[in-house]
Amino acid sequence: METLKIKSTEDSPRILLDKESNILEISGRSLPEDVNTFYEPALSWIEEYAKNPLDITIFNFKLTYFNTASSKVILDILTQFEEMIEEGHNVLVRWHYLEEDEDMMDAGEEYSEMVDVPFEMVSYLNP
Amino acid sequence: MSEEILKALMQLFALIIKQDGGVEETEKKYVRNFLSQQLSSKEVSQYYSLFEQHAGLKKEGSKSTDKEKLTSVIDSVRVLGICRRINKTLHQNQKIVVLVRLFELVNADKKFTPQRMAIINTVADVFTVPKEETASIEQYITSAAPSEINDPRVLIVNDLEASHDGVLHQHAEQLTGLMMFLYVPSVGLYFFRYTGDHELYLNGLLISKHRIYLFANGSTIKLPRGKPLYYSDVVSHFLQEETDTKISLRVEGLNYRFPNGNIGLRNIEFTENQGSLVGIMGASGAGKTTLLNILSGINKPSEGSVMINGLNLSTQKEKLRGVIGLIPQDDLLIEELSVFQNLYYNARLCFRDSSKEELKKLVDKTLVNLGLQDIQNLKVGSPFNKLISGGQRKRLNIALELIREPSVLFVDEPTSGLSSRDSENVMDLLRELALKGKLVFIVIHQPSSEIYKMFDRIIFLDVGGYMIYHGNPVEAVMYFKRMDEQINAGIGECPTCGNVYPELIFNIIEASVVDEFGNYTEIRKVPPERWEELYQENHAAEEIPDPSTPPPRILKVPSWIRQLSIYWIRDLRSKISNRQYVRLTLIVSPILAVILAFIIRYIADPTSSTYIFRENENIPIYIFMSLIVALFLGLIVSAEEIFRDRKILKREAFLNLSRSGYLLSKVFILIIISAIQCFLFVIIGNPILGIKGMTFAYWLALFSTAVCANILGLNVSAAFNSAITIYIVIPMLMIPMMVLSGAMFSYDKLNRKVGSVGKVPWIAEIMIPKWSYEALMVHQFKDNQFQKGFYEVKKTESVADFQQVYLLPELNRRLELVRQDFNSTGNIGLSAEDLHLLRNEISRFNTLVPGKTFPGVKQLTPEGISKNLLDELEFHLEILKEYYSKEFIFANTQIENLIMYYQENQPGIYNQVKDNYHNESVEEYVRKVYEKNKMVEYRNTLIQQIDPIYLDPFPSGLLSFRSHFFAPSKHFLGRYFDTFWFNIGFIWFLSFLFYICLYYNLLHKIIRLPQKLK
Repeated sequence: METLKIKSTEDSPRILLDKESNILEISGRSLPEDVNTFYEPALSWIEEYAKNPLDITIFNFKLTYFNTASSKVILDILTQFEEMIEEGHNVLVRWHYLEEDEDMMDAGEEYSEMVDVPFEMVSYLNP
Repeated sequence: MSEEILKALMQLFALIIKQDGGVEETEKKYVRNFLSQQLSSKEVSQYYSLFEQHAGLKKEGSKSTDKEKLTSVIDSVRVLGICRRINKTLHQNQKIVVLVRLFELVNADKKFTPQRMAIINTVADVFTVPKEETASIEQYITSAAPSEINDPRVLIVNDLEASHDGVLHQHAEQLTGLMMFLYVPSVGLYFFRYTGDHELYLNGLLISKHRIYLFANGSTIKLPRGKPLYYSDVVSHFLQEETDTKISLRVEGLNYRFPNGNIGLRNIEFTENQGSLVGIMGASGAGKTTLLNILSGINKPSEGSVMINGLNLSTQKEKLRGVIGLIPQDDLLIEELSVFQNLYYNARLCFRDSSKEELKKLVDKTLVNLGLQDIQNLKVGSPFNKLISGGQRKRLNIALELIREPSVLFVDEPTSGLSSRDSENVMDLLRELALKGKLVFIVIHQPSSEIYKMFDRIIFLDVGGYMIYHGNPVEAVMYFKRMDEQINAGIGECPTCGNVYPELIFNIIEASVVDEFGNYTEIRKVPPERWEELYQENHAAEEIPDPSTPPPRILKVPSWIRQLSIYWIRDLRSKISNRQYVRLTLIVSPILAVILAFIIRYIADPTSSTYIFRENENIPIYIFMSLIVALFLGLIVSAEEIFRDRKILKREAFLNLSRSGYLLSKVFILIIISAIQCFLFVIIGNPILGIKGMTFAYWLALFSTAVCANILGLNVSAAFNSAITIYIVIPMLMIPMMVLSGAMFSYDKLNRKVGSVGKVPWIAEIMIPKWSYEALMVHQFKDNQFQKGFYEVKKTESVADFQQVYLLPELNRRLELVRQDFNSTGNIGLSAEDLHLLRNEISRFNTLVPGKTFPGVKQLTPEGISKNLLDELEFHLEILKEYYSKEFIFANTQIENLIMYYQENQPGIYNQVKDNYHNESVEEYVRKVYEKNKMVEYRNTLIQQIDPIYLDPFPSGLLSFRSHFFAPSKHFLGRYFDTFWFNIGFIWFLSFLFYICLYYNLLHKIIRLPQKLK
């Protein structure tokens, strides 16, 4: 499977989806002009990946900000994982947040209540 | 609205408006208003504080103001969470309402910041609202000036003659400001708001400016001038594109007289067009149902015409096939089938080109639309044994018609016997149909105000068939009030509650004169004739040209053979699903077989306990009784078949389906039932009585009899109109058949008027059991294992014996009488009859014994007679006697040889075979051993009375097939056929004749004849 790599900008996050080296990550700020177009490649990559995933899928969200429209896309991704789990695959979401960013932590917890996907909350310090 | 949803909504409101610098006063006011519409004042504050809490109003110096203007991530995620919860509990309709409220909330302060809109759009996204509808709602609510709106889903109502392009428009006189309607197609909802200063009422409630209202089914808005704005008016604007087909129904000078001469309808004239819901009202006996029957084409008008798109309903019926649908008052459901199956088989009969999957989908969709999907697998059941509710039955009946979408639909009292909730549901369905562009006529009795107002127009009939009103329902109230010179005639509905009382109209129409004592009399204040005159005076006929296009027909009935198979499966399913019926049908014939055979299993020798078939005297009775069983069962299983379907047939007549397809499917099913029943009977009855080697023959005879009875029973069930008459008719058919079957009474010993000598009486020739009884008796005697080897020689022996012992001596005696007469007088006087007999008999011998013909047979007349001829005749009789004597001796020796051969080679076997296969009692019957008169004279011929089984019938012509009873063979078209096969064939021929009668429903027509002649 081809690796998907999108570089980050002021308004959009960095996306790295690499099955071979087992790195699945979205990081940075997410408030792109057109959310649907921006995330389209990532969503179809995940959809393709779901057909034949690794033994254990670990997905990393390491966002510092996302807007409302992006929040819907994140939910869509999580829903996709939920389906994978129903089919018997192992999926873990690692939700990274800056230690002092309570909102981001709460957001992660809210998400984990919305979908049936195991979450691991990971805090990190500002570099 | 549930508590949970309201809480969710409060959070959502709070989350949206706390964005971008906090909550404004107008927004708070909106939330309060919103809550006070839903709740009592105490609860309002409870929920409002919840709202404040989520909006962060209680915290001092909330964070959102000093931070940058971005929606916090946690707010975004919370919105998602709330939407997901709402998704799980709310219907799509309600979600659209929620969405509209969100837009409205933002609109309260016109702060349309990207953050707020992003949240609302995400909500719409999670609610799966189509993008363009979200955009359309947004534009509708947020645009400042209506002229900016460019959306075909918006209708503007104002005082102007026209509106700007891109939106729909309706004119409303003297209306200040404007009303704006929005149509949301995915859920079929309508919203509206009003900007002017007039006091408008929505369903009796004052409309406040700037609020957005849901314009629900059946709503009305009272305008300052002119007629109110009805739901149907608004809806018709939006659905206009979908209904581009034109339908018109024009009634001209319609009069109807009942067959008994009474007048049913007088001079009815009106025109109706597509997209209308028309009510037909009137006192009982005013002719409502009569009018419906004529409009739907069941009855023909006595005068005048009903034209649909310019096509005459009674003369051009072919072209209007499938256009009309009728939902009568009574049920049209097949009780044994499930809700789904009822609809599915109906659909299959309507749509030739659709595959089974497509039809399944269509049926599923219809069931969902009608709210029947939850009960789709329940059996319908009878009205007495209710499995589904009355409202559901009614909806299913409507679904049957709905699924094929006839352009013109007639419904007879759809709400009678239903709760008011069910009534409104049913009426909603019919109104939606009208909104889709159909023309729907409904006979209605005592409608509620809500239902009454749904109609686009009402036709009032008065006693005697007078049409006294045709027009808007609310205006009808005003019209009759005006005619009655009542005060407040301008007010059609209750000023406070907006209700309309149609009873008021009846009170006015039927008001009677009060006598001097203040009591009501029988005399009406205004007789029906006067009401009609008043209507004619007050009503201006408008000329609407008929559309030139023929009405649309989507009905595509399947081919004959497909119809047959659909009917067949439908019938079979309904039969199988009735377990009790199946059990009883299968068990009845074995039980009867056991009872019958066990009782008559008779052992002749009182000292023995071994049963010997040969000695059982009851075998002929068994044969007769088993045929009666077959006949009876055959009649019983079929007698109610068509009768039970008659209502369904009445409706299916509108589909123009093939009658033969329907009938043959019935016949096939009955044939299968009869085959099984007869098989079970024979397979059990015959072994008990030790009848061997005859199973197939017995089965075939019983089966043929039963099938013939089946078709006869179908005739009966098609001809009579109640179950009780059908069951009275059955013995009237059964008893003559039993009496004239030849088994109970000998044909020779019947009343002279009925009986005939030498042949089976005419009347008995059409009795089914006569043919099968004869077939089985003859077959049992002549073709059993034992008799097979002997029959032909015994026949020769019997014939020769009869001729030489009885017939030829009698001829000699007659010859002597003729000779004496001739010798004494010189001509034939007294003995003319005897000579005639001689001539007949000799000519018969000429055919029977071709080698020994008497050429002078033609001269055996009083004129041609001579002494010579008499001598020759005497000599000829000698020759015949000699011939038959030889025949007899030859046959006799052969028989003895045969018996000797068997006894020598297989000692014991001969008697055993005889005991097992031959029955003496049957032999007595078919040989008429105890007949006193061996021979009778009839019309100058001598008729053999004994041994009918050995006597081949003597044909009188090419087509003559009649014979004496128990003849071994039958003559037809110059050939002889074995009696068994000929008789079975004849029974099938009778079945065929009965089928023809059934196809043309002759029995019914004959029964109706006396009525018609009146």
